[in-house]
Amino acid sequence: MSQDVVVVGGGLAGLTAALRLVQDGLRVVVVAKGVGATHLTGGTIDVLGYTPDRVDSPRSSVSELVASRPDHPYARLGVELLERSLDWFTEAAGTLGYSGSLDENLLLPSAVGAQRPTALAPASMAGGDLRKSPRLLLAGFRALKDFYPAYLADNLTRAGLEARSTVLATSPRPGEADVNGLIHAAALDADGGFRCRLAEELAARVEPGESVGLPAVLGLEKAPEVWRELQDRVGAPIFEIPTLPPSVPGMRVHRRFAAALRKGGARSIVGAVAVGAETRNGSIDAVVVQDAARKRSYRARAFVLATGGFASGGLELELGGKVRELVLGLPVAGTLDGSAFAAGALDPHPLSRAGLAVDDELHPVDADGKVVYDNVYAAGAMLAGAEPWREKSGDGISIASGIRAAEAIGERLL
Amino acid sequence: MTRISTEVLVIGGGATGAGVLRDAAMRGFDAALVDRVDFGEGTTGRYHGLLHSGGRYAVKDPVSARECIAENGILRRIAGECIEDTGGLFVTTPADDPDYADRFVQGCRDTGVPVEEIAVAEALRREPRLNPRISRAFVVPDASMDAWKTIWACVRSAQEYGARVLPYHPVVRILRDGDRVAGAVCRDERTGEDVEIEARFTINATGAWAGRLADLAGAPGVTVVPGKGIMIASNHRLVNTVVNRCEMPGDGDIIVPIRTVSVIGTTDSPVDDPDDLPITAEEVREMLDAGDQLVPGFSSARQLRVWAGARPLFKDDKAPAADTRDISRGLALVDHAERDGLGGLITITGGKATTFRLMAEVAVDAMCKQLGVERRSRTAEEVLPGENPDGHYWLGSRLARRERTMHDDQLICECELVTRGRLEEAIARRGTQNLDDIRRVLRLGMGPCQGGFCIYRATGILHDERRLDGPAANAALRAFVQERWKGVQPILFGDQLRQARLDDWIFQGLLDIEHVADGEAGAEPEPVAAKEVA
Repeated sequence: MSQDVVVVGGGLAGLTAALRLVQDGLRVVVVAKGVGATHLTGGTIDVLGYTPDRVDSPRSSVSELVASRPDHPYARLGVELLERSLDWFTEAAGTLGYSGSLDENLLLPSAVGAQRPTALAPASMAGGDLRKSPRLLLAGFRALKDFYPAYLADNLTRAGLEARSTVLATSPRPGEADVNGLIHAAALDADGGFRCRLAEELAARVEPGESVGLPAVLGLEKAPEVWRELQDRVGAPIFEIPTLPPSVPGMRVHRRFAAALRKGGARSIVGAVAVGAETRNGSIDAVVVQDAARKRSYRARAFVLATGGFASGGLELELGGKVRELVLGLPVAGTLDGSAFAAGALDPHPLSRAGLAVDDELHPVDADGKVVYDNVYAAGAMLAGAEPWREKSGDGISIASGIRAAEAIGERLL
Repeated sequence: MTRISTEVLVIGGGATGAGVLRDAAMRGFDAALVDRVDFGEGTTGRYHGLLHSGGRYAVKDPVSARECIAENGILRRIAGECIEDTGGLFVTTPADDPDYADRFVQGCRDTGVPVEEIAVAEALRREPRLNPRISRAFVVPDASMDAWKTIWACVRSAQEYGARVLPYHPVVRILRDGDRVAGAVCRDERTGEDVEIEARFTINATGAWAGRLADLAGAPGVTVVPGKGIMIASNHRLVNTVVNRCEMPGDGDIIVPIRTVSVIGTTDSPVDDPDDLPITAEEVREMLDAGDQLVPGFSSARQLRVWAGARPLFKDDKAPAADTRDISRGLALVDHAERDGLGGLITITGGKATTFRLMAEVAVDAMCKQLGVERRSRTAEEVLPGENPDGHYWLGSRLARRERTMHDDQLICECELVTRGRLEEAIARRGTQNLDDIRRVLRLGMGPCQGGFCIYRATGILHDERRLDGPAANAALRAFVQERWKGVQPILFGDQLRQARLDDWIFQGLLDIEHVADGEAGAEPEPVAAKEVA
């Protein structure tokens, strides 16, 4: 089998790179071990949230960050590319209606009631922007164990906001105590009366002038429609708050991108673990992929490696302290002899910044800065130098590096 | 200052202290138990969970072996529900001295530990993951015992006999009445208030901390050497039988299947401070390598957690402190009236979890003698309270219960099958704001994800049930995240790290718990509570 580009990894970075390449008319195959980390993220696009102080303007803070941290991925990517990438993402996400910019972060409530800075949010979440001090009614579903509105409201009230809470009895499966978020989302997609029942119960509790915060389960395939219809029926602004994985809003993004890839003629192979490569003279001819029954090689002219960091399994720390990149055995930067972890769970851990060092075109480089394979490009959470969760920077890095890798490949192949 | 009066004050809420409380209460004494933290937070809650048959001591320490097999039989009878009847195997691996096996068999026969040699093929049939190169295998009646469940069963039994329990009450000072100990002043950690507990008799059951407590009482020189032992829990029942190396006791030579995990133990190194038990990368590696001797591949299995406990090793002059395994594991009773001319105080330490009931009996016997009363211990006869006192623990019991309530209750901790109903009930019963207290009762957060999913849920439920304000709930959440981190951090490699990063993703990436509106729990006099709409 031959194609122009093989993208290894189906998270935000891999999907972005693949879709951008398809838009250039290249033949692309995506091989992914699983569905990708989009299913874990909250569906917001975080560019830079903390440095460690809260970031109001990602544009100026990214510039300051890269001045002091030349090893940070943003130092390679740059603000101009970042901005272009966010515009591209907003366009690609289509009717999910992402808004926001590099100029100012939105402040959206997290499910514990932290005020979480993020650059872009889908239409169904943007209404939760706490900078506008909305009066809030936070509503959970009795059967959904992943959202605690009273706890959330307490923390927001403490932070000086006006917030009440309530728990709705309406359920997609009356009589069942434990109904997960996906079932709520599917029931809202299918409708069958659940939208209406939910809207009625909510309308009876909301007071004029309040905005209603609900767990982010308002439909999967038909999310924009569900959200709009609920707002109309309730007669109040409604916004979603992301909660525990699997993340419905993250899955919406995944589905959009997967559908666009299909439409663009790309193939996606999920359940395929890239385990090695056929190499020749500093280039890669093919990646070797293990699926359920056998190994097979996917040949291409260029390869995007976007298998993620430690959480997604792109990188692995061995007993003894050595970090490995699992597909190509690429050199890993930022590994250390000393302690990899801090004593406090929430403290910065030195290991967090470990990953692949790259050049400006995102070719992985070795310790001497020498390109390892001239047709391999790395993107996403496997890049060295960032602490995505602390900084709230993971989505920006993934999208911008996915775009950069695609552009570099375009320059090479087209 | 609150004043309490009791006949017997028991200090130390491990298995021994809980056993003493029960024994004293059953003999008709008015008794109270205090601990500086929660019950079972010390050595009892940090052991591998082995109910010894005595086989481990059959050669080296026949006295302990006899005690173990006797208590093993008693505990199976009275604490059946706390025990899983796994059975035990002693196997000779290629690394073991082949001559030891015959001495082992002789030792078992001499001490009354039932032992039966089985064919290697039969041992491998029973435990297919065992090292296929073992040369001999022996069956003994080892079992696994849930330490926390045992403590709470003793406490509940004692409470039925009128005893009081005061966790989170560290002893501030010991009360003296001339040459007698007359109780203690404790600080109620939840209110910050001092509580004066006046007692006719005080029993020091503080294990590895017993020397310190004796010092406080004015009886210096009771030397208890804390022996650090580390243990690692694997995320699977790699074996379903307790497996031991058939060799003189050494490091990492036991794997205990308990509840949903297998625990390998342990090490033994003398330390100065039982509260400071650092775990090094070398110790972790040695323990995992040792596991490979018994179960090849053990070191690459998914590990869940590592922890260390401090054995209380009562030091006599015969053995040097350098190798603590040579000090008798036998129980140590110090009658301070005889030793120090200090009445009203007994120290009971040493021993092991398997012999906790015997230790309690011996201690209360000594107390009765000093008080000049004759009351017989009945703890070996009366079955402990429980939901199913007739049977042993069965691994599938939680799943069976869950299946019955599948549609009626939410599963809050998927790993350990903890339902919302059980969680709410435990929160109410324990009256606690501390999720770690709940963990010791329900095993909340002890499974593969180490709390990644249940901590947020449990915090939300704790907040609603206990009417906590936001900061108090945040403090509970952060404290539990930190408590879980502590036990995974030394084993963070491979899939353990992957899981920990997923948990980070949830706590930092998604929930942003490090930036939630702060303030010390309960620090503000009038926390603004958000209104709840019915």
